[in-house]
Amino acid sequence: MKERIASILSNALERIAAVRSMKGLEETRVYILGKKGTLSQVQQGMRDVPKEEKPEVGRILNEARGAISAALEQRQTALQAEADREAVTAVDLTMPGRTLPAGGIHPLTLVRDEAVRILRRMGFALAEGPEIEDEFHCFDALNTPTDHPARNEKDTFYFDNGKLLRTQTSTVQIRAMEHLSPPVRIVSPGSAYRRDDIDATHLSVFTQIEGLYVNEDVTVGDLKGTLEYFLKSLFGAETAVRFRPHFFPFTEPSFEIDVLLQAAGQAPKWIEIAGCGMVNPAVFEAVDREKGTREYGGLTGFAFGIGLERLAMIRWGIRDIRLLIENDARFLDQFQA
Amino acid sequence: MNVSLNWLSHYIDLEGLDAQAMADMLTFAGVEVENIWEKGVSTDLVVVAQVKKKAPVEGSDHLNVCMVDAGEGSLRQIVCGAANYKVGDKVPCSLPGSVLPGNFEIKVGKMRGVESRGMLCSASELGLPDKEHGLWILPNDLPVGTPVKNLVDSDTVFELEITPNRPDLLSHWGIARELAGISGRALSEDPSEKAAQALETVSAGDFIRLDAPEICPLYTATRISGVKIAPSPAWLARRLNAIGLRPINNIVDITNYVLHEIGQPLHAFDASKIQGGIVVRHAREGEVFHALIGGDFALSPDDLVIGDRSGAALALGGVMGGIESGVTDTTTDIVLEAAWFNRSAIRSTSRKLALTSDSSYRYERGLSPWTTLRAAARAAELILELAGGTAEPTLVAGQAPTLAAEDTAAIASVVEQGTNAKIFYATDSVRLEWKALDRLTGGAVPHMEAAAILKRLGLSDADGRGLWLCPPWRLDLKRDCDLIEEIVRVYGINNIPSRRITLFTEESTVDRSHDFRMALIRKLAGAGLREVQTIKLIAAESQDPLIAQACHSLPIRPLQSGDLISVALPLSEDHSILRPSLAPGLLAVASRNVNQGLNVLRFFECGRVFRNTGGGKGRDIETEVLGILLSGKSSPASWCNRRPVSVGQADLTALLEVLVPRMPITLSPAKPRSEAALGADIHINGASCGYLARVALDRCRRLNLPEETYYAEIDLRKLQDAATATVRARELPQFPGSSRDAAIDVPVQTKNSEIMRAIAAAKQRLLVNAKCCDMFSDPTGERLAADRKSLTYTFLYRSKDKTLTANEVDAAHKEVLDALTKQIRTLRFR
Repeated sequence: MKERIASILSNALERIAAVRSMKGLEETRVYILGKKGTLSQVQQGMRDVPKEEKPEVGRILNEARGAISAALEQRQTALQAEADREAVTAVDLTMPGRTLPAGGIHPLTLVRDEAVRILRRMGFALAEGPEIEDEFHCFDALNTPTDHPARNEKDTFYFDNGKLLRTQTSTVQIRAMEHLSPPVRIVSPGSAYRRDDIDATHLSVFTQIEGLYVNEDVTVGDLKGTLEYFLKSLFGAETAVRFRPHFFPFTEPSFEIDVLLQAAGQAPKWIEIAGCGMVNPAVFEAVDREKGTREYGGLTGFAFGIGLERLAMIRWGIRDIRLLIENDARFLDQFQA
Repeated sequence: MNVSLNWLSHYIDLEGLDAQAMADMLTFAGVEVENIWEKGVSTDLVVVAQVKKKAPVEGSDHLNVCMVDAGEGSLRQIVCGAANYKVGDKVPCSLPGSVLPGNFEIKVGKMRGVESRGMLCSASELGLPDKEHGLWILPNDLPVGTPVKNLVDSDTVFELEITPNRPDLLSHWGIARELAGISGRALSEDPSEKAAQALETVSAGDFIRLDAPEICPLYTATRISGVKIAPSPAWLARRLNAIGLRPINNIVDITNYVLHEIGQPLHAFDASKIQGGIVVRHAREGEVFHALIGGDFALSPDDLVIGDRSGAALALGGVMGGIESGVTDTTTDIVLEAAWFNRSAIRSTSRKLALTSDSSYRYERGLSPWTTLRAAARAAELILELAGGTAEPTLVAGQAPTLAAEDTAAIASVVEQGTNAKIFYATDSVRLEWKALDRLTGGAVPHMEAAAILKRLGLSDADGRGLWLCPPWRLDLKRDCDLIEEIVRVYGINNIPSRRITLFTEESTVDRSHDFRMALIRKLAGAGLREVQTIKLIAAESQDPLIAQACHSLPIRPLQSGDLISVALPLSEDHSILRPSLAPGLLAVASRNVNQGLNVLRFFECGRVFRNTGGGKGRDIETEVLGILLSGKSSPASWCNRRPVSVGQADLTALLEVLVPRMPITLSPAKPRSEAALGADIHINGASCGYLARVALDRCRRLNLPEETYYAEIDLRKLQDAATATVRARELPQFPGSSRDAAIDVPVQTKNSEIMRAIAAAKQRLLVNAKCCDMFSDPTGERLAADRKSLTYTFLYRSKDKTLTANEVDAAHKEVLDALTKQIRTLRFR
């Protein structure tokens, strides 16, 4: 009996070791441990074992069963591991991805949002105004005399009813002051329109961002500090910024702002980026007259305006402004938020 | 405006300033430097050299290797490609290190393997007029080694852009005076001062008649007899040449010279061409003017004519002389005009006739009447000097206009000019309180410094307490802010410290809509759509599919003819109408990209659209909308998706659900216009927000687009209102729900929306939701009649109080199905 058990055990272990599949392993388990399995049959032979040998043979039988179960389990683990390995061998992680539809944000939106985020961080709130404007908001209130060169139908889009398409977002200065009481600290991105033929550097419809801060004792230093911070945030902390005296009817003193930028392989150049200045008292007077108040008299403020197409063109080295309105997917796909 | 450095340095000491330093100084004075032209030779490194030997370079058909003597004690080897010289000729030689016009630096180099240690130059290579083709052959008596700059006129010319508020800078003297004021550099005497002091004036009497005093209130004429017309002397011709003017004859050149010297336009008439006297009048309607530069111009009464008693037009006032009245080689007597014209009138004439001149450019920016007589005096002085003749006292008609600010006119100071007939000109006085300066600059500018700046610019403190008397040439100093501007400009904004002070600001409604819009844009970009920005001025209609056209607007509700807003004078028909919808732009973008081979067309735009509410008579409405266009394939092909399906209505509706997740979206079919094949109104959370449409198939074909083209347009404000409604968190359900499916068949025209309405009409309390989960139809009619479709709906039932038994669910489900049977005609369960 003992010999039979030993022989069955060694035979079973050999069989288990030779099994190559999960299915084969199950068959082997049945062959050995199943109801009619080799070991089960020996177990049935226990009846015939003399009583005094029973404990000894029983122990050996249990040991054999334990060894066989362990071997089966071990073999199963090994086979599973092998099967798992095989299950993924066909997967090629280096294959190209499934092509999802390409989405993206327009470069003008990216620069506009960035400009707005910087200015809001400085406590400017957004404001807006109509693009179809009247002469009062576009010119008169902005201290632009009736015979000013911009006020004619060769430069400005007029409608038959005398209204016009705003030539600058500065109209929102007036709209905001009419609508709000001081202090006013607003920023307004939006379209402006000029009768310029469309070419590589001009659009007849373009985008500006306008800023205005009016309060008691706003100084030239505030104007400088604000725009330096803004432009350095936009172009990098090391960017040199300079203010050149200039002329705008609605600010006095007025400045144009240049930033020193370097294109690859070229000497750094001063690039005109914005116009700004201290609000001309005539603008406050016009607003007060219109509102019938004296809210703005005696206050000071600054205003600025920046062309967003220009910012985008500088930021990404875009040579032709028309690319921004043509929306060729190959162009659009280059920009990341 | 061009300014010659040589000419300028006649008036102001510019010692030690190079061109760049000059440019910076002008820039910080507020004068934009558009260009700097170096004329002639400024370097010592271009010298006279003699060619001693000349031999062809091997392998080249035109290069010669020369040995030249540049006065260095030894010969220099230079390769040269010119053909017009011989051994023994003297030519200019640029030595290594010299920089020629165009920023061209000469270096030691090799040509065809032969070393070349410099360059033999043509005149044009040195920025000089080319005298002959090839090298500039110099006179043989010049010693070798002589710097060529000693032989030629060199000059630097600045092309300046003067801001419209500063007409006083439109001359060399004006620029010199300004630079001296800013820098404190020494300034010469005003070139017109001496002549102006000596000028005699008499009343014009009958000789000048001012018939249009509102345009021309002051006109002077100086008769000079016995002049000799001749070419101008070299110094005068050189100055005019330098700024790009062609010398003509001494008289004409002097009028041009004085214009560029002190900024006042002048005109010289041949006295024999003036019949009886000068009449300054409005043009007659349709009067034809023969201009000096050629061309006939039809005038109207808004235009100002300088005529004579015969009725002839001698000149178009302030703009241009006439072809018949000008000075010619046979002229002996002249009449010199110096006048003041209203700038608006000159501008309108100049614009209307598209006729501009150095004269109109200055008049239309506004000139000080103070320079009128001074220019007459200066020009007469030069004419007597250069053309001889005898000058009569200047005839004066009219009086200088008052340009001083109205509120200070009472304290204005008056300048007096002339002898017998006097001109009185009131200059501005401006009161400046230092505290106004301190307030605007944060006290950064010392008052002593500020006062010194104003004095250097020609102002004087009349009462010692800040009543500043402005110089007569400045028309732009009217109130204290104008003086503060001058102080800050000259003091330098760089010297005013920056300040960083912020203010707590309330969030505005625009802030909120900006945030909402940016979130939408990011969602749509993340969902695989490209944001575009298209031009807001579009065409009415065009053959070119790449042009956005108003006829492709896709509103479901019809556009009335007057709803479109057109500009009065468009630049072109392609950009004449303010877009009433984003559809035209997006369709044009899709067409453009189809042409580039794209077949997944997923684009969106956020922006303003424009509509008149009342067919042109109502209000112009500007609305911010979102437009989404889907066309072609739903995704690009790849190895794991080789034949992507075309987009359908479900793709667009899915995007709406991405935009406003968990908001109830209802689509109600509407009868579309011809632009759309199908259309539906979009309701979000019960509010009408926009529309969704399938673009008409023939339109797609015309635009080269795939036939599956869908478009939705949504009012952003309405969407924001609907989407930002307050949300309260709900309790999670305590008991499990139970679902039932129902397969029905209905006519193909029956809409999901009708079935959903019928289901809702059952008002079954236990029904949580229902949704179509399968659709089947068979156009062949084999498996289902061709005019029928099979739909499967899944229904979820749940009670908040207990777990429902199967019987309870079945009972509720039956009620719903009964309602369906009752409401939908010919519905059958399958």
